[in-house]
Amino acid sequence: MNGTIQAPTIEYALLAPMLVVFGAAIVGVLVEAFAPRYLRSAIHVPLTLLSLAGAFALTIWQAAAKGIPTKAAAMGAVAVDGPALFIWGTILVLAFVSVLLIKGEDHFVAAASAVPGSAEEEQALHEGAAHSEIYPLVLFAVGGMLLFPAANDLLVAFVALEVMSLPLYLLCGLARRRRLLSQEAAVKYFLLGAFSSAFFLYGTALLYGYAGSIDLAKISTAVGSVGGQDTLLYIGAAMLGVGLLFKIGAAPFQAWKPDVYQGAPTPITALMASGTLVAAFGALVRVFWVGLGGLDWDWRPVLYGVAILTMVVGAVLAITQTDIKRMLAYSSIAHGGFLLVGVIATGKAAAQNASALSGILFYLVAYGFTTVGAFAVVTMVRDAGGEAWHLSRWAGLGKRSPLLAGIFAFFLLAFAGIPLTSGFFGKYAVFQAAVSGGALPLVIVGVVASAVAAFFYVRVIVLMFFSDPAADGPSIVLPSRGTAAVVGLAVLATVVLGVYPQPVLDLAHSAAQSLFVR
Amino acid sequence: MGESITFWVLAVVSVIAALGLVFSRRAVYSALMLGVVMLSLAVLYAVQDAPFLAAVQIIVYTGAVMMLFLFVLMLVGVDSSDSLVETIRGQRFWAIVAGLGFAALLGLGIGNTLIAAPKGLAVANQNGNVPSLAELIFTRHVFAFEVTSALLITAALGAMVLAHRERTEPKPTQRDLSRARFVEFGRHGKNPAPLPGPGTYARHNAIDMPALLPDGTVSPLSVNRVIARHEAEEGTLAPEVAQILQQEEEGK
Repeated sequence: MNGTIQAPTIEYALLAPMLVVFGAAIVGVLVEAFAPRYLRSAIHVPLTLLSLAGAFALTIWQAAAKGIPTKAAAMGAVAVDGPALFIWGTILVLAFVSVLLIKGEDHFVAAASAVPGSAEEEQALHEGAAHSEIYPLVLFAVGGMLLFPAANDLLVAFVALEVMSLPLYLLCGLARRRRLLSQEAAVKYFLLGAFSSAFFLYGTALLYGYAGSIDLAKISTAVGSVGGQDTLLYIGAAMLGVGLLFKIGAAPFQAWKPDVYQGAPTPITALMASGTLVAAFGALVRVFWVGLGGLDWDWRPVLYGVAILTMVVGAVLAITQTDIKRMLAYSSIAHGGFLLVGVIATGKAAAQNASALSGILFYLVAYGFTTVGAFAVVTMVRDAGGEAWHLSRWAGLGKRSPLLAGIFAFFLLAFAGIPLTSGFFGKYAVFQAAVSGGALPLVIVGVVASAVAAFFYVRVIVLMFFSDPAADGPSIVLPSRGTAAVVGLAVLATVVLGVYPQPVLDLAHSAAQSLFVR
Repeated sequence: MGESITFWVLAVVSVIAALGLVFSRRAVYSALMLGVVMLSLAVLYAVQDAPFLAAVQIIVYTGAVMMLFLFVLMLVGVDSSDSLVETIRGQRFWAIVAGLGFAALLGLGIGNTLIAAPKGLAVANQNGNVPSLAELIFTRHVFAFEVTSALLITAALGAMVLAHRERTEPKPTQRDLSRARFVEFGRHGKNPAPLPGPGTYARHNAIDMPALLPDGTVSPLSVNRVIARHEAEEGTLAPEVAQILQQEEEGK
């Protein structure tokens, strides 16, 4: 052996938020292994919440006290830059809120291995068995979500994608009620997700063939300098795009979203609709802006079309839905389209890019809180067999429980982007960046799609307030402290971001100012 | 020269095996064909100055992953065949069209690129193949490899959650089972002994032959009712067994 290997340098302080989350997940697994059954959830809940809060504090500390790093960490594998720190903070808060929702009620199956409807299942329910493994699984998923938008090379991005998705595939299949639907959702999500990961990996391989590296920065320099292999670059970029667009549920890769959102336990749906979307958008923007930034003349028309298709499909198909969770899923697809408008709004000037990025970041925060709140309300409207999923059951809710119906109506208005709600400023920030980036037609489509979307949100509001309640209507459960806190926090965030958005806009702007490290 | 001979031999073998993998009707054959494809790839890697990759390909893919496939197939049942009914009309046709279109797109796209003369792995392998790989894995890509551990833990935990059912009551011992049998005997007169086995005559060695009691009559307990019913349909039922079944029918 003639060469000695230089030991790698890993900036543990920079990566601390992520390492805390992963560490807590591993401790959670050990708790599963060694703690007696009756103690487990008493240990898991504080452990999970504390680790998420601690990671959030570390993120703030990094951004405020130590400044935003200008170099990728861990030998160039992880880029902890302004946008990444902002996204980390967002994901950690949303995950914290989702964990409060998970802890709130019995949303999860008693014994996943028992066949639905079997005597075994009944016995497990009778004994009050529970899967406390859910907490470490959620932490692993959150760890993956933190890594995905910060991945500075495509290998780390792929590993992060899997770390994020695998626990979610599992958690989707663990709903307590309508179990067959839940298991079907998990299998669909798993198969389609594995397929899209394969696309991502194939794209990575082709880009490696083109650029000779999987570093986003090196791919970016190769885009301008390597000649004669453009088809490799185009096919690779397209496949990478398929993998990323699948994760955000953009049309034509949106088919999984309604099924999975409907089947998954509602707190997990909330986590997916908020955290996963934030993480996937962070990664999408990083890959397209940093890695394929030199190719923007080629990918912009494609994403243009995808954004239009996504907005239209999301808004139009939402109208035809009768299941409340499916409706929210299509609404999430439409919001993915609105966010894509921001991804296209790049320009030559750094200021243009920064304003588009800050718009996207603000939109993600606003939408994340509102959607978690909306799903929290969904968990509280119950029938005998679980959540009252059919929209007709929601008729007259405003007369039974004006407060809850009012809160839900407020969330729906925020989704529609009515002024004085957070959704308005989110859309405004993204659309304004798109207009100054020269994507006016896209913004017009976006506004029309918003109007169509507003139609079905208002339809639900009309249904809740202006129709007569059914005689055997659903009951409103008294929320647990966790669920009540989630709803309260979501209302607060939606109001504050709608009335006084400046601090968060400023924060998003300063996070976006430095753009991505290369 | 040796390299191109190896390539052309293995190219034919692996493409034929890959086609067999897709078109074979039996899952086990498909799995074995996959093994052939993986082994040919391993040899190709070895020829192209990547001995470590070749060894990993054989140990991990052919050794572990393939065996896992086979285990699953054996557990599901070798003879079980997939339902080939189209649930969505025209799905198969469009799947074939889309698949061929995608293959053509990839083939043309990659075929059209100007690929510079291959450099070989001589530069990368300067310090030896394995040490060079080790350097990359333990320096530049160390974080990716560490994070992979989260994936493995998740997979193990997930398998536990989905498949493991914790026993909530103690497992019945031989003693408990025996006791339960005699309680049943005391209450309902159910025979606590095992059922008598089928009889084996000098001319037969088959389970459809009834056992004979010491007095030479047929023991009704030894007659397998399912087989007897089939035989009655085919008309090959032994007359003494038919008589017993007849008597039982009348007894009801």
